[in-house]
Parts: sequence; structure tokens; C-alpha cells
Amino acid sequence: MSHNPQSSDGKHDDDSTLSDFLASLMDYTPTIPDELVEQYLAKSGFQCPDVRLIRLVAVATQKFVAEVASDALQHCKARQDAVVKDKRDKQQRDKRLILTMDDLSKSLREYGVNVKHQEYFADSPSTGIDPASREE
Amino acid sequence: MKDGGLENKKELENSKKQSKSSKFRSKNDDFSLAIAKVAVAQVCESVGFQSFQDSALETLSDVTARYIYTLGKSATLSANLTGRLESNVFDVIQGLEELESGLGFADASDVNRCLANSGVIRDIVHFVGDAADVPFAYDVPRFPVVKEREGMGSFWEKGEEPHGEHLPSWLPAFPDPESCATQSTVGNGTMSGSNGVKTGLVGVERKIERPLLNCQKQFARNGNLRDSSCGAGDSAKAREASNSNPYLAAPLQFREKEVDVSPVVLPTKLSNEVVLRDSVPENHSGEDQVSVLETFAPAIEAMKSGLCEYDGSRQKNVLYNQRPTVHFKIGIGKKSLNTAPYFVSKNKDIHKIAYWFENSNEKDDRKRRAEIFSEESMECSHEPGQL
Repeated sequence: MSHNPQSSDGKHDDDSTLSDFLASLMDYTPTIPDELVEQYLAKSGFQCPDVRLIRLVAVATQKFVAEVASDALQHCKARQDAVVKDKRDKQQRDKRLILTMDDLSKSLREYGVNVKHQEYFADSPSTGIDPASREE
Repeated sequence: MKDGGLENKKELENSKKQSKSSKFRSKNDDFSLAIAKVAVAQVCESVGFQSFQDSALETLSDVTARYIYTLGKSATLSANLTGRLESNVFDVIQGLEELESGLGFADASDVNRCLANSGVIRDIVHFVGDAADVPFAYDVPRFPVVKEREGMGSFWEKGEEPHGEHLPSWLPAFPDPESCATQSTVGNGTMSGSNGVKTGLVGVERKIERPLLNCQKQFARNGNLRDSSCGAGDSAKAREASNSNPYLAAPLQFREKEVDVSPVVLPTKLSNEVVLRDSVPENHSGEDQVSVLETFAPAIEAMKSGLCEYDGSRQKNVLYNQRPTVHFKIGIGKKSLNTAPYFVSKNKDIHKIAYWFENSNEKDDRKRRAEIFSEESMECSHEPGQL
């Protein structure tokens, strides 16, 4: 018996948290514009008159992009730090942080998106093998 | 600092034209993709990047667009599963959980959790609290722009009364017969022609005669085109036939043979389906070799008679009333009875014979198939390298 009022209060809290959050979303302007999100949602068949849900999707997408970008940034910084360790040249650290395909593919790999590029293209299967080991 | 996205925009647009178009990305997506690139560049800049590789930016913006699309799709799916057309917040949360399930979120293993209390939402709340509020760089207009189409002009709009009770007033009004007569397209001609036949208004009949003539000319033209494409008969005969319109010529009477008719090679299906109603004794004569022309002459007559019906007046179909029905078998080459798909037979004996032939033909088919397989296996044995 004592559990029930607690659980019901808990539910109310959850609902209120969610509704408060959704209300607060209207104050926060996500970087991804609403029109873009609406375009792609409409393409997928998503129908909702509520603007707060559009904002929720926009914020969730922004969070996703930010996470991928931060992972790529960590990869980029790690590579730069490794280079500096070898050469011990502090000036290299001031180089601009560039989002490269290499870092992006590594960070997207963890999210299940495979954008790995071929490392090289060979003319035939035996290209690059020692001539001694090549079958003649 | 924002130039990471701006400077390269034109170059990006040019490279986009050369990029592969997949099903997700159509030609009309250029604008939304460009906006996505700017938005993604702004987000990455807020994270700490200072410049971007073109390909990396394009890839990330494409992934972002697919993320939104996938989220919408899963939300729609969960809404439809519960019998709703419009998604609500719980559908969106379920979609988010599906996408985040790869990396995991708090309470993912909790079976009895409430969706409102989901870990995904808590993560987003934290993110919103921490992230700086960076609005989008441009004012985005509402897109896609929906063009307003001109209405077809219903009966009600035009103020006309529809021609019958069966025509509701919200349907588009009929086009003017006069404007139809001047047009030479077949579609309009046939439309007004069929209108004339259906409605049968006296006052409109005269106006409709002209489009009917156009319609007949169209049929004649098409018919002549077919003749010439078949390549049968001399060119001289074809010219004669085109000068004197074969579809407007009088139908052949009993025992009349018209040699000038350009032989039209009809497909077996068409000629078999037509139940010929004139008894032409040439076909039943004891001749073993029936010429193609004689064979198809009744079919041509029947087609002519069929077309003459469109002429709203005068000619009654004499053919239908007077002649007894004749069942006419057309066999081309030495095909078995089994293979003729539209074989019409009212004779039970012939049915039995056909059935017997079917059985024998089945055995032949099996033999043939066995031969084909053995041939293929012989071919395969010659190519050891391939599987």
C-alpha cells in the first residue's frame, strides 16, 4: 500500500520532468533548423502537429552530431600528440584542427556507420608481392 | 571562423552534381543537403574544429540527414503499430532508444522502465544544459514550396449543369466540342467521340461529327501504319489501300473476294478470338493450302464491321443478323493442339483428342528437358574453373 502513492508520485514526476523539458525546448534554439528537420521527417512519413516533438528530434540530432564530432576531435588530438612526442616540436601543436575523413570514419565506426575508404587500389592480386614468392 | 562552411559552399555544390545519387538522395535534395552542411559545420565548430575536409563534411551531413530520416521512420512505425497516424512523444523516445542502443544508455537493461524516464531523455537534458545556444546562421524559408495548381474547373465552378444525374457537380467539366474538333490528338478526338455516343444529344451531334471524322482518320492512319510496319504485301497495294481508306470501304458481300486489300498479318490470338459470322465457302473447300489472304479475309471484314459501328448513323450490321455462326480453326504451321492457347472447341471428341495429345506432349517435354540438362552439364564439364 505504501508503495502505490510513491510510484504514482514517481510517475507524475517523470511526466512532469518530460513535459517541463519539452516546454523548455521552446526557449532553446537548436543549431539544426526546424525546417530541415521537418523536411526529412516528412520524407519518412512522420506526422505530428506538435512543434515540441520537432524540437526534440532537432536537439537529439544535434547531440548525435556533437558526439561524433567530439570523438573525431579526440582522434585528431591524439594523432597530433603522438606526432609531437616523436619530434618534440611544440609548434606542431598549434596547427589547425581539421575534420578529416580518417578521424570521421573512426568515430562513426563506433556508431555503426561504415564509411571506411579503400587504403589502396591494386592492378592485380599479386601486385606488391616479392617476385621471389610470386608463382610463375 | 564560420567560413569553414561558407567559403567552400560553391565548390561543394559543384562537386555535388558529380556525386552519386542514391535512392535517399534525389536531385531535389540539394537545397536541404546544403542547409544540413551549414548546420553540421556550425555544430562541429562549437565542438572545437576549425576547418573541415570537403568529403568529411559532406559525409557527416549525409549521415545526419539519414539519422533524422531513420528516427522519423521508427517513430512512424511504432505509431502505426498501435493504430495511430500521428506520432507522439513516446514514439519518438522509442525511436531514439533504437538508435542509441548500439552504444547503450542508462537503464537500457531495465525491462519495466517507463519511457518518460528513459535514459535517452536524461542524456538530452544534460546536453541541452551544457551546450551553448548557437542558432542557425541563416534564415531558412519554408520549404519545399508547394505550387498552387490551377483547378480543372468543375461543373460547379463553371456554373454548368452536368449532363446527367450520374455526373456529380464536383467533377471537371467536359471540354468544348468545338475546341476538340480543331485538335488533332487522338485522345481528345476519342473522348468527344465517345461522349457523342454516350450522351446522344441531338444538338451536339452535328458538332461531334467532325471530331468523329477526325477520330476515324486517326484510326485509319494508325491502321495504315500497322500495315506498313508489318511489311506484308507490295508497296503499291499499300498505297492503294491508304488512298481508299480500307476502314471506310463497304464491307465484303457474300462470295466477294477483294484482292486489293493489303494483307494484314494478324496475331493468332486476335484471329482466333473473332467468331466469324459469314460463311465463306472458300474456307471449307477441299483445298489443302489455304492462302493467307483468304484465311484472314473474314477477320479483316469482321474488324471493318466492328469499326463501322462508330459511324453513328446509317449502316446497320448486316453481318450480325443474317449469317449462321461458323467456328473457324486457324492453325499456323504445324503446332500441336496443346500449344494453341485460345483454342475454342465445342466438340467433345476433339477435347478428348487434345487431352491425349497433351499427355504425349508432356512426355516429349520431359525428354526435351532431359536433353537440355545433359547438354548443359556437358558444357559445364568443359569449364572446370567456374562453379
